[in-house]
Amino acid sequence: MAAPEEKELFRADNICKHFGHQQVLTDICFSAYPGEILGIIGPNGAGKTTLMECLTGLLPLSSGTIYWKDQQITPQQVNPFIFYLPDGVLPYAEQKAGQVVTFFQQLFSAENQQLQQLLERLELEPAQEKRVHSLSKGYRKRLLLLIGLLSPQPLLLLDEPFDGFDLRQSLKIMQLLRETLSGRTLLLSIHQLTEAEKICDRFLLLNGGNVAAIGSLKQLQEQAKVSAGGLEEAFLALV
Amino acid sequence: MPLSKTQLLKILLFQEIRNILLSPALWGLLIALSLLVGYSFIQAVTLFSQASQTALSYPELAAGMNPLDGIFVPTFGAYYLIETLLLPFIILRLIGHDKQNGTLKILLQLPLSTFALNGVKLAAMALVWLLLLIPAVSVVINWKILGGSIYYPEILTLLLGHALYSLTIVCIAMFATAIAKTLPTAAMLCLGVTLGCWVLDFATGNGQGWLEILNNWSLTTLLRQFESGLLSSPTIAAFLILALLFFTGASVWLHPGKQLQLKIQSSLLVVAVLLLAAVGCSQLGGYVDMTANRQHSFPPADVRALQQMQKPLIITIHLTPEDGRYYDLDHEVLAKLKRVVPDLRLIFADTASGGLFAASGSDTYGLIEYEYAGQKEQSYSNSPEEILPLLHKLAGQKVTRDKLQSYSGHPLVADASGSKVWFYLLLPLLFLLAAGLLQQPRFLRNHESEK
Repeated sequence: MAAPEEKELFRADNICKHFGHQQVLTDICFSAYPGEILGIIGPNGAGKTTLMECLTGLLPLSSGTIYWKDQQITPQQVNPFIFYLPDGVLPYAEQKAGQVVTFFQQLFSAENQQLQQLLERLELEPAQEKRVHSLSKGYRKRLLLLIGLLSPQPLLLLDEPFDGFDLRQSLKIMQLLRETLSGRTLLLSIHQLTEAEKICDRFLLLNGGNVAAIGSLKQLQEQAKVSAGGLEEAFLALV
Repeated sequence: MPLSKTQLLKILLFQEIRNILLSPALWGLLIALSLLVGYSFIQAVTLFSQASQTALSYPELAAGMNPLDGIFVPTFGAYYLIETLLLPFIILRLIGHDKQNGTLKILLQLPLSTFALNGVKLAAMALVWLLLLIPAVSVVINWKILGGSIYYPEILTLLLGHALYSLTIVCIAMFATAIAKTLPTAAMLCLGVTLGCWVLDFATGNGQGWLEILNNWSLTTLLRQFESGLLSSPTIAAFLILALLFFTGASVWLHPGKQLQLKIQSSLLVVAVLLLAAVGCSQLGGYVDMTANRQHSFPPADVRALQQMQKPLIITIHLTPEDGRYYDLDHEVLAKLKRVVPDLRLIFADTASGGLFAASGSDTYGLIEYEYAGQKEQSYSNSPEEILPLLHKLAGQKVTRDKLQSYSGHPLVADASGSKVWFYLLLPLLFLLAAGLLQQPRFLRNHESEK
């Protein structure tokens, strides 16, 4: 786990986004450190997905700046450093899962050994011959996770990675994420607080497009002045 | 080690090709095309045979029997329908699905521009077009087997016209998909433009001023040039400009992360540049008559003489553009003159005609006046045999025509009912078989062997 004292890998400053007159994100500031798992936590509609899409240039920023290792970059320049895996994507739905997996392996120039390892860990092998559109929700999610984990960028943004998994599956995925990170930094958008508390090193609490708080669970508890309970209690006290 | 852009493009191209080949829509389109082309071909052969029977009895009618107008253009009418109404759905599906299911969000994170991503789709569509050629090649072979005459330059011109028409339609579909939020909206936008061209062709056939300009740039009008066997650089340039306009528009509007203002500015810039290009290409010359019967050309000796007319040739026409005589004059004389006379000026006199079926109040209605270097001639004729000597006389030139073998036509009485088995049964079955085989795992493996 990385400490905030380490040199920051990524920083977002005063990120704002509005759709017409509707302000969706207001002055979002945060940093991500090498090797850490930072959870973007918030209820539905808090602006988690919008924030991720703005950071990766898939939505135009209204204002704000982003930095990669202290170097200011535009969202159009983040591709070598950041990979964002949106939620609910169904890539090449008419093709077999195995073909889609091989396509992304080639696209990301991933090693065969890495792919085999991920296929085993994500238990995706039985689904290889099925067409993507016929996969169950759980398998679709695992396929997406595999695509994300095959990507080579040092910072990986995953939107709702545990949505669709039961508790046992979520725990397995968390363990897998920890084991396969090997120095990569993860930014997870999560709305289930129980899962978030189990996997994230630090939390960015979003509420109504504003940063409600940022820090480790201990820091959030201190800010919220709650000594007992977990992330849920701290979140409710802060939001 | 990260892949080069070329390697990425290769992987994407193979993926798009696989995506298309696995699509039932493609095979459905090919089967529909096979049936339509077969029906058009058999009908065309039947009509051509009936006309040929008369032409064989009266040899002077045989010169009018050419396979381009009698067989290939009507048969390729099936292509026109498929290209206009069904082909757009292949690209709508290709890009629209990427947008709808989120694949585009992943692809946009690759180190490739939207131009490159769209270029890959376009390259994959080239394969579709090659598959569409299978029924066309079958038509040529069937016609040959029936004993028909084939003049390949005019067939190739026709194919080039359809290739450019398809390219433009595909680019329009790309643009519609890029700007529309949903697939049905994109489909409506695309069909709005393509069918709009069709309507425009009917509505403004003989329009003047801006209507004429609009009609000249309609896709149907542009395609008709190729159907008539005339290869012209302005028409090729017009098709390419339209395709480029929509392709660039699609690439500018595809990325959801670009500011709206930037997209509008880029689009305006593209439109301005291509408008300039359009003005430039309208000044282009360069025509090649690819027909076997040289229907777009005066005899070579006349052409050489007309090309020497360096002063302005002014033709004053006392006809309304809707008049059938004007159509003949334009088709037989004016269109050909425009391509060879360096400075030709056409003036429509005020004819005071009340319309197509109304009697003209003017005594000079129907008269055509020719003025060159201060000298004038006039005639009511719309035949080149009468007009050309007048023009040579005005220019003070004596023209001796070369002895050329005149086009004697290729009448043929044939029965194409045997082709029904191929177009209605075997070819659709072959397409079905191909579609079924491609679903097998051993086909369409990823383009590189596994690492």
